[in-house]
Amino acid sequence: MLVLTFAAEGAGNCVEVGSVPYVYARTARGAFVLPARCSHRGGPLHLADLDKAGVRLVCPWHGAGISATRLIKKGIPAVRWGNTVTAVFPVPADTETSTGHLPLSRDLCGMRAAN
Amino acid sequence: MSFTPNHTPFELDPARLSELALDFASNPIYLDNEEWQNTDNPYRRQLRPQIIKYLNFSTPLPKEDLLDYSALAANRLLATVYETDMMFLPKGPMTAEHWADFKSFYSSTNRARGEMIRPYLERHVFGFLDDIEVSGEWTKESLVAYLGRLRDQPSVPMASEKAIRESSDPKRAARNWLIQFAPDFLSEASPMIRNAMGYYGPVQSEWFKIIIDEYGYGVHESKHSTLFERTMTSAGLSPDLHRYWQYYLTSSLMMSNYFHYLGRNHEHFFRYLGALYYTETTLVDFCERGADLLTEVFGGEVDVEYFTEHVHIDTHHGRMALEKLILPIVEQCGEAVIPEIVRGFEEYRAIAQLADDDFATQVAWMDAGPQNKKLHDPVWKKVESGEVTAPVAYIVEPRGELSNTHQHDGDELCHIASGTMKFVSGYDSHQILEAGEGTVIWRNRLHGAIIESEECVYEIHSVGDYRACLS
Ligand code: FES
Ligand SMILES: [Fe+2]
Repeated sequence: MLVLTFAAEGAGNCVEVGSVPYVYARTARGAFVLPARCSHRGGPLHLADLDKAGVRLVCPWHGAGISATRLIKKGIPAVRWGNTVTAVFPVPADTETSTGHLPLSRDLCGMRAAN
Repeated sequence: MSFTPNHTPFELDPARLSELALDFASNPIYLDNEEWQNTDNPYRRQLRPQIIKYLNFSTPLPKEDLLDYSALAANRLLATVYETDMMFLPKGPMTAEHWADFKSFYSSTNRARGEMIRPYLERHVFGFLDDIEVSGEWTKESLVAYLGRLRDQPSVPMASEKAIRESSDPKRAARNWLIQFAPDFLSEASPMIRNAMGYYGPVQSEWFKIIIDEYGYGVHESKHSTLFERTMTSAGLSPDLHRYWQYYLTSSLMMSNYFHYLGRNHEHFFRYLGALYYTETTLVDFCERGADLLTEVFGGEVDVEYFTEHVHIDTHHGRMALEKLILPIVEQCGEAVIPEIVRGFEEYRAIAQLADDDFATQVAWMDAGPQNKKLHDPVWKKVESGEVTAPVAYIVEPRGELSNTHQHDGDELCHIASGTMKFVSGYDSHQILEAGEGTVIWRNRLHGAIIESEECVYEIHSVGDYRACLS
């Protein structure tokens, strides 16, 4: 297990673990750690919007749907306080990591209210 | 006969809340003191009821306002409400005054009134913690990894320790530091005992073991509070309960109130486990550094056994908290309780951080006394010339009038028109202000004053940000 601390938004909001980039996403239904690459062809999930119901992320490339509820309940365990996220990744503690920045879609930075 | 149940939540509208808080605080034992210290009377605490009508306890304070006066007032009230559950006696014989205060403090009126306002006061000062968000699927393994990281962190001095070392008066700073721990350490482990009652399985007995350690295995000389009393005495302080009530900072009361809040509200039991892990784990390094710091400041005559004892015992308590409390509770109740444990850990970390910054700033504030007195002149010039206009209060007070300690929500300028004021910015920290002189008062910094002339006429200008006045 690997415990990492990174920013919820702004500079340093992306951690790359192994070769997968993760960001912290905040939606009206709750927040979660999001693998920023779509499992289909690697589309930019950090730029995904939510569907009309606000429950699924829609990949901007070919429209694959990813359940936000699942990421909230079953995703990478994390806790956020202010702008600091601490998350526990299910990889060996010596896995290579780096920190960077990725922009987020409006829906993923808590801009859209719950409906 | 038909019966229509009508079960409604307990709610107070803001006006009623304010009325009840005022009523609670107006108990004669809570009125302003004519002295800076309480003398061997555990029931007396200054709650400044005269200000309560200006405060709004009905909503949670945002994080950036947690050191505003309303937070100090609410934490003073809360500490008082919680402590009516605890047994206190003066050290000396009970005088007629003690008897009356004892009865009043433990009276059903005091307790019932306190209990009504308590939920709102708690929400007022701890509501900001609702910003902590726990997500994802937590398992025992991820929890252990998450908690383990704290244990593996190197021991680095906190801002408070740095502030004491670098202070222009390290002894004064260190005494103020010890005073901040008194509300917690003199009744150490009392909040924990709130969770010793009940019937909840093997963890209850493990919980009890930690309490036994804190209580020195029933040997009064080794009770942790006794050790702390010796530290205080050896540093030139008196260990009677709440003698230094007026010198407690908002965040110091908050630290000690936090565990009462968790222990008093059993729905937060799992948070308590997380917070306990945080405190037990960090305490080892903290106490190790604390013992060194006190010895450095006071020399060999200071008694640091309180600190060295915790280095020994808390090494076990951190491990016990994890292996004997947290993991068995997760085993018993399921992984669904983990987010609450994580939340408690983060909550206490946040509060400890706030308290560290608060104390370090208070040391800077005490040290800056002479500069703040000098700063009066340029700021006063701007006020006098009308370049700066701010709300002003004109005050006339007689000799001996003591403004019990408080703080303001913005910077202020105090200007003495006539007479003499002793302006107090912490324990053993003051400036004498004569006619024509004054001082800048920093936002959120604890202070009080006493009049040392037949009469003193002074003005308080609420300038908001004194630095802006100078540019
Ligand atoms: S890359 Fe996401 S749907 Fe194809
Ligand atoms: Fe004041």
